[in-house]
Order: sequence, then structure tokens, then C-alpha cells
Amino acid sequence: MIAEFGLFALILALLVAAVQATIPLIGAARGDAVWMSLDRPSAFTQFCLVAIAFGCLMWLHVTSDFSVLNVVQSSHTDKPLLYKITGVWANHEGSMMLWTLILVLYGLAVSIFGRDLPPALRARALAIQGMIGFGFILFILLTSNPFLRVDPAPVNGDGLNPLLQDPGLAFHPPFLYLGYVGFSMAFSFAIAALIEGRVDAAWARWVRPWTLVAWCALTLGVAMGSWWSYYTLGWGGYWAWDPVENASLMPWLAGTALLHSSIVAEKRDTLKSWTIFLAIVTFSLSLLGTFLVRSGVLTSVHSFANDPKRGLFILLLLGVVTGGSLILYAIRAPALKGGGLFAMVSREGGLLFNNIVLSTAAGTVLLGTLYPLFVDALGLGKVSVGPPYFNIVMVPLMLPMIALMAIGPLLAWKRGDLPHALSRLKFAGAATALTVIATLLAAGISTRSLLAGIGLGLGVWLIMGSLTEWAGRVHLFRHSLADSLHRAWHLPRSAYGMTLGHLGLAFILIGVAGSQAWRTEYLEVMHPGDTASVAGYQVKFLGAEENIVGPNYISTRGNFIATRNGRLIADLQPERRMYANPQQPLSTVAIYTNLISDLYVVLGDPAGHGGSVVHIFHNPLVPWIFFGALVMVLGGIVSLTDRHHRIGAPRRRIDVRPRPAAPTVAAPVAVATAKPRYNWMTIVPLACFIVLAGFLVWRLYLVELGFAPNLIPSVMINRPAPAFNLPALAEGQPGVSSADLQGKVTLVNFFASWCIPCREEHPVLPLIAQAGIRLVGISYKDRPQDAKAWLDQLGNPYKAVGVDLYGHAGLDFGVYGVPESYLIDKHGVIRFKQTGPLTPEIIRGTIIPMAEKLAR
Amino acid sequence: MVLANVALVAALWSGAAWAIRPDEILANPKLEHRARAIGTELRCLVCQNESIDDSNADLAHDLRVLVRQRLVAGDTDEQVKQYVVARYGNYVLLKPPFMAETYLLWFGPVLLLFCAAGVAAIYIRRTSQTAQTAPLTEDESRRLSALLDEPGRKKEDS
Repeated sequence: MIAEFGLFALILALLVAAVQATIPLIGAARGDAVWMSLDRPSAFTQFCLVAIAFGCLMWLHVTSDFSVLNVVQSSHTDKPLLYKITGVWANHEGSMMLWTLILVLYGLAVSIFGRDLPPALRARALAIQGMIGFGFILFILLTSNPFLRVDPAPVNGDGLNPLLQDPGLAFHPPFLYLGYVGFSMAFSFAIAALIEGRVDAAWARWVRPWTLVAWCALTLGVAMGSWWSYYTLGWGGYWAWDPVENASLMPWLAGTALLHSSIVAEKRDTLKSWTIFLAIVTFSLSLLGTFLVRSGVLTSVHSFANDPKRGLFILLLLGVVTGGSLILYAIRAPALKGGGLFAMVSREGGLLFNNIVLSTAAGTVLLGTLYPLFVDALGLGKVSVGPPYFNIVMVPLMLPMIALMAIGPLLAWKRGDLPHALSRLKFAGAATALTVIATLLAAGISTRSLLAGIGLGLGVWLIMGSLTEWAGRVHLFRHSLADSLHRAWHLPRSAYGMTLGHLGLAFILIGVAGSQAWRTEYLEVMHPGDTASVAGYQVKFLGAEENIVGPNYISTRGNFIATRNGRLIADLQPERRMYANPQQPLSTVAIYTNLISDLYVVLGDPAGHGGSVVHIFHNPLVPWIFFGALVMVLGGIVSLTDRHHRIGAPRRRIDVRPRPAAPTVAAPVAVATAKPRYNWMTIVPLACFIVLAGFLVWRLYLVELGFAPNLIPSVMINRPAPAFNLPALAEGQPGVSSADLQGKVTLVNFFASWCIPCREEHPVLPLIAQAGIRLVGISYKDRPQDAKAWLDQLGNPYKAVGVDLYGHAGLDFGVYGVPESYLIDKHGVIRFKQTGPLTPEIIRGTIIPMAEKLAR
Repeated sequence: MVLANVALVAALWSGAAWAIRPDEILANPKLEHRARAIGTELRCLVCQNESIDDSNADLAHDLRVLVRQRLVAGDTDEQVKQYVVARYGNYVLLKPPFMAETYLLWFGPVLLLFCAAGVAAIYIRRTSQTAQTAPLTEDESRRLSALLDEPGRKKEDS
């Protein structure tokens, strides 16, 4: 009943979204105030309906209603209440519901805070929000209905992946989505402005705080995800350049650019068409991330259960949203004339430079993330683009920007004085040089310490630069201290926001540099009473308590005490848990932090006699990374409290007189300055997007056809089979060696008794021998007695079987997952490789014809 | 980073801790250090985007052992990587090699930077041009000449 009620509410929400998407828009176009005024009530109604649907879903999860498929798939009665609640968005369907809920929440916010916005602008923006909402609710209803019933209802559910049974799940996705979806505000207002053809300071003043809200949420969301992975994944990594992580970084980079360009748009009435473009790009990247994570076109550690059908729908949505808005942009943007002039060296110039670098960075991340698909699509083989690539390209890109971040704020608007700014940074420069030298002296001269020195030096440079700027603003040391305090008190909050934001980045930089350069590790089997010494700490292993019963797991807890110079520092208790539903292991890390560095202890596998594999890391400066992110977010929040930014501030500033006849499609401002002419610069993004979208459609089509993106073509094809000489499985029989492959077409089949697909493959193997192909088996990393028993039980189709106990021959062949089969010609050259089980179709359709040709 | 979502389809490596086991570690710290550096650059083939150092998969373990065996046998870092590439292809390199197929990947960021800078330069030039060349409207020129002709103003200026 509750499920049906929720579904009904969601369907109603779809209808309301349809109304919200059309009526106010038509009203705005025709200047009909009554039609336009439908925007706020419909946004409100839509929010209520989606909230009801979401509430129903949460109710189903909390009460463990296993007649609902979604609950069955991600819940279990023994799960603690917190994870029953957060489990709502721990799966694809529920997380889409959260996405939609947050979207309509923003819509509600417009209807509440935007009461005094120009009615046409608000009507259009809310209509765009309505369209996005319509698309996503339709998506949920058609492809990802969370209210589907299952009959008969199982007694209990499948449970939730232990990795997700963590408080991080309660905060990370909601904040991430608050960020992703928050950029829809800037987007909707950008589209509304394009339709109106008017981008004025009131527009920018409205968009800025919302961009700031979204940016804060996204920063917090990404940082929390990074922290979560730092303390759960067990190897102390906080960023791995995984496609899904990149999917969240791209909107962040673009959003940060948007944040800065909207300052210029508001204060100087220039860079307007660029700001609009960034608003479109930022939200599109959020959508692209949603697509990449759920469609199955990319492989990632963190992806959802993938479904190409869902992928197609999101891609379609992306096509409509991004394609549509870029078309509108190509048509309308040339008419948006930028106002204020500025010199290259000026505050505007600095912000523009920031935008150039950040958009290049976002583009680079996109390029690196999609490049493997791109190369694959062109049939150029398979490449991997991993952390080493991103580190190499991103570091040189970001460092100059950070260096200039200290200078930019010191420049005046319009025309800055570079020598003067630099002279003010004398002190910062000295501190930086001192840091670099001190680092090199302390750590010795090596590439590693040089990189660390540069990182720390730049961090110090940015801190000193930001403080110099602040000191200049409050006239520190110039008059009396009282005067400075007075000025500091009255400094606009947005100025503090900037200072904090930049300081936060400096802290992150210092944290990254330090942790990369000076991380130490200890990895050893420890027995009770053993002591490890790591970075000046003595960590003593007292022993492991077994069979500690948790709410839905049983754990082994290691007891460690850390001392330093004989003084007790911390008790550390990492655990190794086995969850009941689903049956999965999880190891929890024990971390002692003194806010400068972390002592990080992981309990590994048991090693007999009460011993355990123990992994201890000393991670210097890692806490600074997360602290820095918090400072950045704090900066955003402080900035938001600026009177100037306070949401609803526009009502006092902008002209609320009813406009002479509702602004029609072509607004006066735009038309007065320039005839709408086409400009290649505004068409290029559209063209790029069309290429990208076409390419993603193609990729999706391949995935749907069943081309597993993970299948790696062998490089061994058309190369001589590697040399090997393996003993026979059965005593008294000849072994298998590469010399045996000469003279006759042979199929070499790697198998193992522990391999489940091999069992599936085994019955079809006789087909090979029947076709007159010599079939040779290699028992891969299997105990000989197990392999023997397997063949005794299932029959032995092989002419000869060799034992590859340690997988050496397998490595030489390039085996990466059994079963694998290699077809080898008369001259011992590999001609074909099958990864995964052979099927009658493959044998009859490919292998036999090929073998016949090779035999000739 | 564990992102949003993660109905982790992973079965092989869930609950992973840092994968290297104590028995794999080489006694010679210099070689071990090199092995780690190589390990982070080689991709575990059966996993989703993990290096062999991060992966708990069996194959990753085999490759880590192989890397160490080759190092002990006296191979250079490059030779070790080539040894693995010869069997598994360029796919195993997390840092793709510089070749025709990856020119765009390696030059892409520079290209993007130039494009972005170019667009910015054009933007600045256009705004300044339009601002300079915008002719005065009739009304404006009338007001301007009126101002210029104003006798009192001239004195002030001089």
C-alpha cells in the first residue's frame, strides 16, 4: 500500500513537472501574468509530491518491507537503523530519488526566496527546473522504479555491502548531490537569461549565491568521500583518479571557475557570455558524471550495477539538456555584449586566468577519463589512463595557477599594478624561499623532497599572499591597531570568504605535498608482544581478540598501543570483520591523529600462533587535506552570509517595476547592441558536444551488444607461443611443452577446479577433439590432486594435461582469468584467444573453421 | 574515494586492505622501493581500475611477485615493465606510453590550454575593439560638443 502510494505521488509529481515546464514558459513568452504565476505553486506542489514519494521509500526501508524489490536488494533486518535509513540511497533507484528530491528542493527554494525576482525570469527558470525534474522523474518511472513489488516476498533481504555500512554514507551522497544538482540553479537561470536575451547584474547577483551554495556542498561532498575512502579502504589513499572520482571532480573544477567568473559578471558586468557558458558546462558535467557512473561504459571501483538501458535514457536526457542549451547558446550568446573593459593585468585578468586554467583542468580530466573509450572506439587497441597520467599533467597545470592566486587578489579592477603587487609580496616570497630551503635541508636533496619543497613552498606562498591581501585591506601596521580591528570588523564577509577559500586550498596543497613525500609504512607479520617502530612511534601488538559480536558481523579486534619516547600515545584497535548478510569481509582501520600526522593501523590476515599481518602507515600532513577542505567550505559559508549575497538580496537592489509589456523573446538590451549574428566561437562547444554524444551513443550500443568493456585483446595473437615445459598431471604420462605444439593445430586450454565458469565450459570441450584439433589442458594454479579429481569426476577430454602450479606459464601466455583458450597453428604461433568459457557457438563458428584453414 | 553510490559490483576485492603481503617484500629496500614504484604503474587486469599494488586479486599478487623476480634478476625498471607489456599489452600501463595513439592524450591538455587562452585573448580584443569603435549616437555627440563648447569648462581644463 505504501509503495503504491509512493509511486502514485511520483506519477503525480511527473504531471506537475510537466505543467511547471510548460505553462510558465508559455506565459513568459506571451506576457501572460496569470500563466507565469503558476510557477511557484507548481514548484511547491512538485516538492511536496516528491517528498511524499521519498518518504514512502524511506518508510519501506525502515520497516524492512521485503515485498518491495528495492528493499530486498539492499537491506536486511539485522542492519542497524542508521543504515536502513541511509540504505535508501545506497542503490541506484534510491539515489536517483535523492537526486530528484534535491532538485525539487532547489525549485522550492526559488519559489520561496525568489518571490521578488522579475516574474518572467523566475517563470522561465522554474520552467527549466520543471523540465529537468520531468526528465528525471520519467527516468525513474520508466527504468528505475524503486517501488516495484516482488512476489512472493522473500523472508529477508540481501543486505547491504559492508563498505557502505558506514556513517559516511549518511553524509557523502546527500552533499554530493546537493552540489551536483545545485548547479542546476545556475543552469536554469542561464537558460532563462538566454531566452530573455538579457544578462544583467541582477541576474548575476541572483546566480552567485546559488552557485556558492552548490559549490560548498560539492566541496564538502567530495572531501567527505575522500575522507571516507581514506579511513575505509585501508591503504590510506584519499584520491585515486578513478573515473567516478573524476566524475565528481569535473563539475567541481568547472563550478569553481563559474564561481569566479560570476564575480566578474556581477561586479564588472563583463564575461557574461562566458559565465553563461560555464553554467551550462558545469551542470552538463554533473549530468555526464551521472551517466558515466550508471551506464556501464566505463569501469570503476565505485560504479553502480550497470544497465545500458538506463545509460541510454540518461544520455538522451544529457543530449536534450546540454545539446538544447548549447544550441540556444550558439544562437543567443553572440548578442550578449560584455560591458567593462579591462587590461590583461587586472583583477578581471587574474580571474580570467583562473578560468582558463580551471576549464583546461576540467577538460583534461574529461579527456583522460574518456580517452580509453575513444581509443577503443577507433579500433586502436586498449589503453589505460591512470593516476600517473593525471599526476603528470595536472600538477604543472595547477601549480602556476596557485602561484598566481596570491597575486590576483592584490591587483586592482580594470588595470592592476603588477610591480606594486609583487613588491607587496616580498615577505611572502622570502617565506616561500625559506620553506623550500628548509625542506631541502631537512629532507635531503632528491626529486621527492624537491617536489615536496615546491608543494610546501607554494602552500606557504599562498597563505602569506592571502594574509598580505587581508593585512592590506585592514591597513595592518599602518595606523593604530584599533583602526585595523575596526576595519577588520567591517570588511565585507565575502572578502573573508575569499581569504578562507584560498587558505583552505593552501592547506590542501601542503597536505598533499607532505603525504606524498614522507609517508612511511611498516608491513610485517606481528605476534603478540611484538613492537613495530614507525616514524618515531613504538607500536606494540598485544594480541587479537576473536569472535567479537557486532550488530550484523563478527569481528577480530587487534589490540595495539602506540608509545612515543616511552609515553603512551594511543590505544589502537583495528578490526577484521565478517558481515553476515551479505557474507563479506571488511577491515576497519584504527587511526590516531595529532592533527599534523596520522598513525594508521590495519589488521591483515591471520598468520598462525596468534600472529597477524599488520600494516602500519605514518601519514604526515594528511589531516591538513581534510582540514583545508573544511576551511574552503567555511569560506563559502562566510561568503554566503555577506549581506550582499544574502539570498533574497536582489529584491532590494533590482528594479521590481513591472516591465513595459512582458519581455518578449528578443529582449531590448541584446537587440540594441548587436544583431543576432552567428559566431564560430559559440558554435564550437555545440559541435564538440555532438561529437562526444555520438561517440557515447556508439559506445553504449557496443555495451548493449555485449562487448564487455573489460575484455582485453591479447597481444600474443600472431606471436609464437611462449616456451614452457610443464610436468604431467597424471604420473606416467608425458608432460606438456612448447615443443609439442609444433606440427599440428592445437587448442591450449587453461582450467582450474576452483574456477566456476570452467565447470560450465567443460561439457563442450569434446567438440574440439571431435573436430580433429589437438586439445591440450593446462591446470592453472590448482593443486594436482584437485585437478585430478575434477577430471576423474567430469571426464578428461584432453590429449595431455600439464601442471602450471604457480601460474608461470599462464603469465607468459598472458592469462588473466581462467578459463582461457589459445588456438595455436602448426608452427606454434598463437592465432586466436578466447577469454572466458568456450561455447558450442564459438567452437563451431570460429575455432573449427579457423583450425581447418590453419591445417591446410 | 568511495563515491555516492557503490552498489559495488565488486566481489573479488571487497573489504580490501592494501594488498601487498609481507612475504612478497624484498629484503633489499632499494629494490623494494623500485618494485613499489613499478607496482603503482601497472594495472591489475581483472580489477576495475586498480594498480597491482592496490588489488587483492590473485593475478595482482602473481604480477607483484613477477615484478620482484625480474628486479632481483637484474632487470631495469623499464625492462620489467616491458616484460609485462609483452604479455598483456599496453593496457597494463596506467601511464600510457607516448605513441601515435596517445598523442592526443598527451598533447590534449596543452592544446586545451592554448584554446582556452586563445578564446580569452579574442574575447579581450573584441570587447576593447567594440568599445573603442562604437560610434557616438547623435544625441551623445551633440551633448559632447555642447560640453566642449561650454566656455567655463575650457578654463577649468587648462
